[in-house]
Amino acid sequence: MSDNAESPTETQKEDTPPPSDESTISEEKKKIDVLLKAVGDTPIMKTKKWAVDRGRTVQSLSQFISRFLKLDASEQLFIYVNQSFAPSPDQDVGILFDCFGSDGKLVLHYCKSQAWG
Amino acid sequence: MGSTTLDEQNFRHWCQLLLQQSEQLKDGWSWEAVQVMTFITVTCVTSLILYSLLPQSLSVVSSEADLVNGEIDIDDEDDGVWTISEGSSQVLQYEYHILYSCSYSTPVLYFRAFTLEGRSLSLEEVWSCVHPSFRLRLQKSPLSTITLQEHPLLGQPFFMLHPCRTEEFMKPVLQAAQHKHRPVNYVLSWLSIVGPLVGLDVPLKYSIQLRPAASFMASPD
Repeated sequence: MSDNAESPTETQKEDTPPPSDESTISEEKKKIDVLLKAVGDTPIMKTKKWAVDRGRTVQSLSQFISRFLKLDASEQLFIYVNQSFAPSPDQDVGILFDCFGSDGKLVLHYCKSQAWG
Repeated sequence: MGSTTLDEQNFRHWCQLLLQQSEQLKDGWSWEAVQVMTFITVTCVTSLILYSLLPQSLSVVSSEADLVNGEIDIDDEDDGVWTISEGSSQVLQYEYHILYSCSYSTPVLYFRAFTLEGRSLSLEEVWSCVHPSFRLRLQKSPLSTITLQEHPLLGQPFFMLHPCRTEEFMKPVLQAAQHKHRPVNYVLSWLSIVGPLVGLDVPLKYSIQLRPAASFMASPD
């Protein structure tokens, strides 16, 4: 009963589209399994397990979760590793997986919070 | 430890641990003392990107709202369209101070920023260095989260990250720590959450060293 699903193709928002040439390091194309767990009364994602490109950043993943959960523009999403710290937004999930993954997956807890202040 | 706040004694304790790790990692944090009050501080020279929100995306949102005259699905405009302004990566010197806030019973982050020529950054410039994943939400809050304040101990103008939300985002961390009977460094966790907002990256190594399986015989990097 696998919840496994591929990361959906994201609509490109950036001005300059990412390079599409095949010389992109294949390393970045490798995917790692991420298990997303909701904290508190944050909505639970129907699909919790995702295969994510190693090279995807935490920020990119966070944006994806926010959109998936249809968070209000004023709501902040916090992501925790090991339930003990927040990874830097620019961090590659692949690196997080290498350092903190267990049982073949990286568990990330997420929590939404109201606007700051 | 049932609370989500921090008393001053524990604040010092966690700062001490952070300093020990910092020393191992040669990360530069140090104690400062002004009369009887202490705080920890680090100065970094970093290359920060100045982000700006494309004007077009803002006007698209407003004109759509005029036309549609109802709920617009802002999902696609979430976070706007961020771009890196041409040639606007700057090398800046940031000085961070972690003090203890008695009124909030939490750490609080003060910082100031200079160009390498020694010119202080304005509040607006500091905002432009805030990571896009936070900026829109921070700026939308009625109380601006980053404000210019007088440093409580040094009396000089510093930017401050308002601590009123600290309890809220620390809650999941502390609850998990209690539940798993595994202590967590409050100051380190807090810093990992607030640091990125203002250009301070907390190296992963700080958190790796906390793992029970971590080997302390590894040679310092």
